[in-house]
Amino acid sequence: MDFLKQYIPNVFDNWHGDYGFEGAISQTLYMTIISAIIAGVIGLAVGLILVITEDGAIAENKTIYNITDKIVNVLRSIPFIILLALIGPLTKIIVGTTIGPQGALVPLVIGTFPFYARQVQNALVQVDKGVIEAAQSMGESNFGIVCSVYLKEGLPDLIRASTLTIISLVNLTAMAGAVGAGGLGSLALDIGYKRFQNDVTIVATLMVLLFVFVVQFIGDYITKKVSH
Amino acid sequence: MAQPLIQLKNISVNFKNKERDVLAVDNVNLDIQRGDIFGIVGYSGAGKSTLVRVINLLQRPTGGEVLINGEDICQYDAPKLRQTRKKIGMIFQHFNLMMSRTIAQNVAYALKGSPLSKQEKQDKVNELLDLVGLADKKDTYPRQLSGGQKQRVAIARSLANDPDILISDEATSALDPKTTESILNLLQELNKKLNLTVVLITHQMEAVKQISNKVAVMEQGKVIERGSVLDIFATPKTSLTQSFIDTTTRLDATLKGLAQQDNLKHLKPGEQLVQLSYSGDTTDEPIIVSLYQKFGVSANILYGNVEILQGTPIGSLIVILSGDAIKVSESLEFLTQSGVRIKKLNLADFGGDN
Ligand SMILES: Nc1ncnc2c1ncn2[C@@H]1O[C@H](COP(=O)(O)OP(=O)(O)OP(=O)(O)O)[C@@H](O)[C@H]1O
Ligand SMILES: [Mg+2]
Repeated sequence: MDFLKQYIPNVFDNWHGDYGFEGAISQTLYMTIISAIIAGVIGLAVGLILVITEDGAIAENKTIYNITDKIVNVLRSIPFIILLALIGPLTKIIVGTTIGPQGALVPLVIGTFPFYARQVQNALVQVDKGVIEAAQSMGESNFGIVCSVYLKEGLPDLIRASTLTIISLVNLTAMAGAVGAGGLGSLALDIGYKRFQNDVTIVATLMVLLFVFVVQFIGDYITKKVSH
Repeated sequence: MAQPLIQLKNISVNFKNKERDVLAVDNVNLDIQRGDIFGIVGYSGAGKSTLVRVINLLQRPTGGEVLINGEDICQYDAPKLRQTRKKIGMIFQHFNLMMSRTIAQNVAYALKGSPLSKQEKQDKVNELLDLVGLADKKDTYPRQLSGGQKQRVAIARSLANDPDILISDEATSALDPKTTESILNLLQELNKKLNLTVVLITHQMEAVKQISNKVAVMEQGKVIERGSVLDIFATPKTSLTQSFIDTTTRLDATLKGLAQQDNLKHLKPGEQLVQLSYSGDTTDEPIIVSLYQKFGVSANILYGNVEILQGTPIGSLIVILSGDAIKVSESLEFLTQSGVRIKKLNLADFGGDN
């Protein structure tokens, strides 16, 4: 302990409290988990819409496909840091504040769901068309095909896509730190960078990395579990 | 004749896209009776798959009516159509099993909406897997099965709702000859045991010959020839049908071989090379003997083949007839009257004169 204190003194000084590591870790977890859930639901729905309305798919619909496709493309091409500023007013309406972990939720969700929707689409278009046709020939409804074929057959790829998305979400939470969202990103910027406490920056970075590794590990484990 | 189980009336399917229109099925009329094993043959792109996908409306026709048991299913609403589809099983070239489900779960999937109890469903699955000889593979995943085994699972699955009809779209095309044979035998057995009507799409005429009782030949979206397998094999009317039939015999290869023989290149005067085809009762008559006895014409047999189709022998002989020219033509006359089909052959057509 004393040995560690010698090398990363500022980390110990900044450990406790809402503005220290304790707070930052829980804020990062909060932002990641809440926006992963919300962006996950929206992204999955949008991804599914893209997959089933595509040409030749079970609910083929050019208009819906094209509109959804355009929205996803536009949202994906806005740099996140600009998105943060751009949707400030919207954020204020939805969650009542533009700062702190809560204020980051709206931009995080909007920055993440289009990415996830595309990942979902890429994962699910690979589901064998023949299997879908077989399900149809057995009298399965479109809703049944989504639940029992797309989501079930595509599950391993879906989990891979989710892992990737959560990791990129962790990155975004760090970036959101730039506008006072809190979390490990804020800590690294506000204390590590602005007060020249490099040890804080390094340890915050290592924690983000650790977080990413854990997500990747769990993702790989589940993917393996559900692949046959 | 009884009400056909499946009636396709003036069916057309037109695929429209930006560059071009494809008339994949062109005004097809087809009646399939209960208990038939109805073969549909044709080369790739002929429209076979599109046509049969119309039977369960996986493909809506752009024109025409689809009658199942006399009812136009195009008029059905979605739930009723789904109910109807359960009574029409379908198997595919690439099996289309769900990789994330075990064999038993794959079969059980077809029973999802059925009113059976959990236990009854389980019994049904076991019974079906028994029927296709895969009871011991119950809990394995499709990835661990061979092609033939996968197709058996697909067959079990397609039978889960006790269908009246089984559509088989190239179901044996990805299998080796021996496995193909066993799958075809299984289909035939199911046809007999369950009075299952089978629609057998294939480009292997051999499969049709083995188990079908009726056959339709398709080309460019049209049915160009149809009839009982016996009639079609005995008296094909189009050259496409003939070429499909030839793939099931060694005739082509034989003729090519014969064309290389010197003594056959230059037949003597009074010698005539002919192919004799006959079916049914004709076979029993000692025709070769009677040619000699009645006309003094001798027949030198170069090739002979007899096959049993639907219990009826179909024979094919290639012979050189020799004797007095007038007697030879009289003998051919006699053969025609006895129901033998005659085709005069010229070996030059088979590459003899090069
Ligand atoms: N969804 C589609 N859109 C456009 N054209 C199609 C479509 N499906 C089939 N076709 C065209 O319709 C024609 C008939 O195709 P189909 O698949 O019915 O032939 P097939 O006889 O089953 O051939 P194969 O033996 O290769 O399976 C082909 O020219 C094909 O390109
Ligand atoms: Mg086909």
